Amino acid sequence: MRVLVVEDEPDLLASVVNALREDGYAVDGAVDGEEGLYKAENYEYDAILLDIMLPKIDGWELLRRLRLRKKTPVLMLTARDAIRDRVRGLDSGADDYLVKPFDVDELLARVRALIRRSASEATSRIELGEVAIDTATRAVTRNGEPLMLTAREYSLVEYLALHRGKLVTRTTLYEHLFNEDDDTLSNLLDVHVSNIRKKLGHDFISTRRGHGYCVE
Amino acid sequence: MIFNSIRWRMQLWHGLILVLVLGSFGLSAYQLARKDKLRQAEEEVKLCVAEAARPGLPPDRFRGAGRPEPLDGFGGGNRPEPNPDHFGEGSGPEPPGGFGGGDRPEPPPERFGGGGRGKKPPFERGFFREQISTNALRVVASKNNPTPAYYFIFWKEDGAVLASSTNAPPGIPRPTPLLGARPEPGRNNWGHAGPPPAKGFEVYSRTRAPLQEAYHFTPGGDCILVGRPLQPEYAALRQRALWLVAAGGAVLMCGLAGGMWVATRAIRPIEDISATAVKIAAGDLSQRIDTAGTDNELGHLAALLNATFARLETAFSQQARFTSDASHELRTPVTVILTQTQTALSRERPAADYRGALEACQRAAQRMRKLIESLLELARLDAGQEPLKQERFDLSRVVRDGVELVRPLAAEHGITIQCGLAPVECLGDSERLGQVVVNLLSNAIQFNRDQGEILISAASHERTAVLTVADHGLGIPAADLPHIFERFYRVDKSRSRLQGRSGLGLAICKAIVEAHGGSLEVASQEGQGSTFTVKLPIP
Repeated sequence: MRVLVVEDEPDLLASVVNALREDGYAVDGAVDGEEGLYKAENYEYDAILLDIMLPKIDGWELLRRLRLRKKTPVLMLTARDAIRDRVRGLDSGADDYLVKPFDVDELLARVRALIRRSASEATSRIELGEVAIDTATRAVTRNGEPLMLTAREYSLVEYLALHRGKLVTRTTLYEHLFNEDDDTLSNLLDVHVSNIRKKLGHDFISTRRGHGYCVE
Repeated sequence: MIFNSIRWRMQLWHGLILVLVLGSFGLSAYQLARKDKLRQAEEEVKLCVAEAARPGLPPDRFRGAGRPEPLDGFGGGNRPEPNPDHFGEGSGPEPPGGFGGGDRPEPPPERFGGGGRGKKPPFERGFFREQISTNALRVVASKNNPTPAYYFIFWKEDGAVLASSTNAPPGIPRPTPLLGARPEPGRNNWGHAGPPPAKGFEVYSRTRAPLQEAYHFTPGGDCILVGRPLQPEYAALRQRALWLVAAGGAVLMCGLAGGMWVATRAIRPIEDISATAVKIAAGDLSQRIDTAGTDNELGHLAALLNATFARLETAFSQQARFTSDASHELRTPVTVILTQTQTALSRERPAADYRGALEACQRAAQRMRKLIESLLELARLDAGQEPLKQERFDLSRVVRDGVELVRPLAAEHGITIQCGLAPVECLGDSERLGQVVVNLLSNAIQFNRDQGEILISAASHERTAVLTVADHGLGIPAADLPHIFERFYRVDKSRSRLQGRSGLGLAICKAIVEAHGGSLEVASQEGQGSTFTVKLPIP
C-alpha cells in the first residue's frame, strides 16, 4: 500500500511518514501543496494524508483540483475542529477527517479503514480459501496456522487480496508497493511472489504471463 | 403581566386623563344646565308673583309670551298706572328698572303713594287684597294650561290664609319676612343686571325641593306666594345627565381607541428593537434593527444600537478567531510531540532515533513556549494589568541596542542595517519599546531579499518621536496590508510558521506602541519593500 503525506511541519511530516513506513506502507512525503498535488496526480496512491494549512496551495484547493482527476481516498489532517471545517472538508471530497493532535494508532487505524473502504471491504478480515488475512493485525494464517511474512510480502498479499478476482499488473504493484525512493529492480517483484507461493501454496497467486498476477 | 407593558400603562394614564377631563367637563356642563334650568324656573315663579302682586293689568300681557317684557320692574312699561298708591309714585315717565322704577332714592316704606302727583288716594287694603287674589288666580290659571302645576297662596299679615289655589299642596309654611335673600347688589328681582328693586318691592324666592316658590310681601305685610313643582326640570336634567354620560362614554371610547392606535404605533419600533435584541441575545449577532423610515428619536436609538451590535459582533468574531487561531497554533506542536514519542516508543530503536525524536519534541516545545509567551504578553497588554514603566530614555540608544541584537541574524542573510539616529528623549518603557524595535527589525530581515538592506532611523519631529524601519524586500500585497496587525494574520499562510514565528509579533508591537499613546503604521509596495513607522508622543 502506498500512501502520500502532505504536511508542511517537517517534524510532523517525518514522524507520520516514519510511523506509516513502520506499519508496512510505502510512503512519500510532500512539504507544500504544489509538491503534494504533483505527486498525487502523477503517482498511484492508496491513500493521501492531507494537511489543510499548506504553503503555495492549501489543502482545500489541492483536494478540489485532485478530485477533478482522481478518486484517491483522502484523509484530512487539520488543527481546526470547528464543525464548519469538518463539514467543508467532507463536502469538498475528503473521505475522512482527523483533528490534530491525534494518536498515531488512530491515524494508522483510519488509514487502514480508508484503504479497506476504497476496496469495498466491510471488515478487516479477508478469507481466501484456506488462507485468511487480518488487515488490522497484519496477520496471515493458513488453515488456522499463523505464517511469518516480511512486510513487503504482506503488502503484496494484502494488495492482491483486496483486489481479488481482478488482474493486477506488475506496474500497478510496483506503484502501490514501493515508494519513490525504492529501487524498482524488475525482478524484485518476482522474488516476493515466489516467496509468497512457498508459504501460502503455489496456487494462491496465479500468473497471467505478460499481464500480471491474480488472486481468486 | 400585561399591565406592565408601556403600551398598557400609556393607555391607562391616557384613559385616566380622559375620564378626568370628560368627567369635569360633563359635570360642569350639567351644573350649568342645572343652574340655568332652575334659574329659569325661579324666574318664572317670580314673574308670576310680580304679575299677581301688580293688580289691575290686563291678563293678556302675560299670556303667550314665555318671558314677559317688564322684566326689570314690577311696574313695567309706559302704561296708565292703575295703582299709583301701591307701585310707583313716579309714574309719569316710567323710570326703568326696579320695583316700579329703581333708581330713585329709596322711598320710605309708608309712603307708597309717593308724592309724584301731589295727591294721595286712600290706602285701601281690602281692595288690593282682592286685586292680588284675583290676579294671582288668573296668572296661575293661565300658567296651568294644560297641566295644573302652579299654585298660589295669599296670607294676611297675621298669617291667616286669605286665598289659595285649589291645587296648592297643604302645609306650605308662610315665609317670614327677611328670611329670603335679597337679590344680589346690582341685580334686579330676576337676577338680571340692573338696578336693584326698591325696598318693599322685592320678590324673594325659595326652593323647597321639589318645589320652587317665590313670594312677595306687600307693604301692608300680606304675603303672596306662587310656586310650582320642579319635576319637569328634574326630568329634563336627568335626561341631560343621561345624554352627557352617553356622549362622554362615546368620546371616551373613541379617545381610548385613538390612544391605543397611537400607543401601538409609538411602541412598534420599540417592539422591533426588542425582538432584534432577543435574537441577538439568543446568539445571532448578525441581526440588525430595521431603521428604514424612522428618522426620529427611536430611529436614532436603533442606529446607535445597530452600531453597538456591529462592534459587538466584530469583537466576538475577533475573539472567536483569536481563540481558534491560538488553539490551532498550539495543536501542531502538540501533534509533533505525540506522533514523535508514540512512534519512538512503539518498539526498540537505536539511540540515534530516540535522539532525533527528542530533538523534534524539543523544537515543538520551544515553539509552544514562544507562542504561550506571546499570548500572555498580548493578554497582559490587553488587560493593562502590568502598568508600563515610566522612565526617561534615549530612543536612539534603545534602537542601537536592538540593532546589535539582530545583527547576527542579519549577517546570516547577508543583510546590512543602516542607522540614521538622532538622540530622542522619550518617556515610557524602554524594555518594551526595545522589543518593538527587535520585532520590526527581525521582520524586516525575514521578509528581505538576501544581501538586501534595512534602514532604521529615529528622530523627533514636533513633540513626536518618529522611528522608521524600512526594508527593500518583498513588500506586502495591498490586500493583506490592512490585516497585518491582526493576531495570527499571515501574508503567506505558512511561510512564517516554518520560520518559527507565531504570527503575533506585529500585533504585540502595535499593542505596546498604543499602550504608550503612540501609533504604528505601515506603508508597503509589493516587490519594493515595506516601511513601518512608530510615532510616540514626547511629553
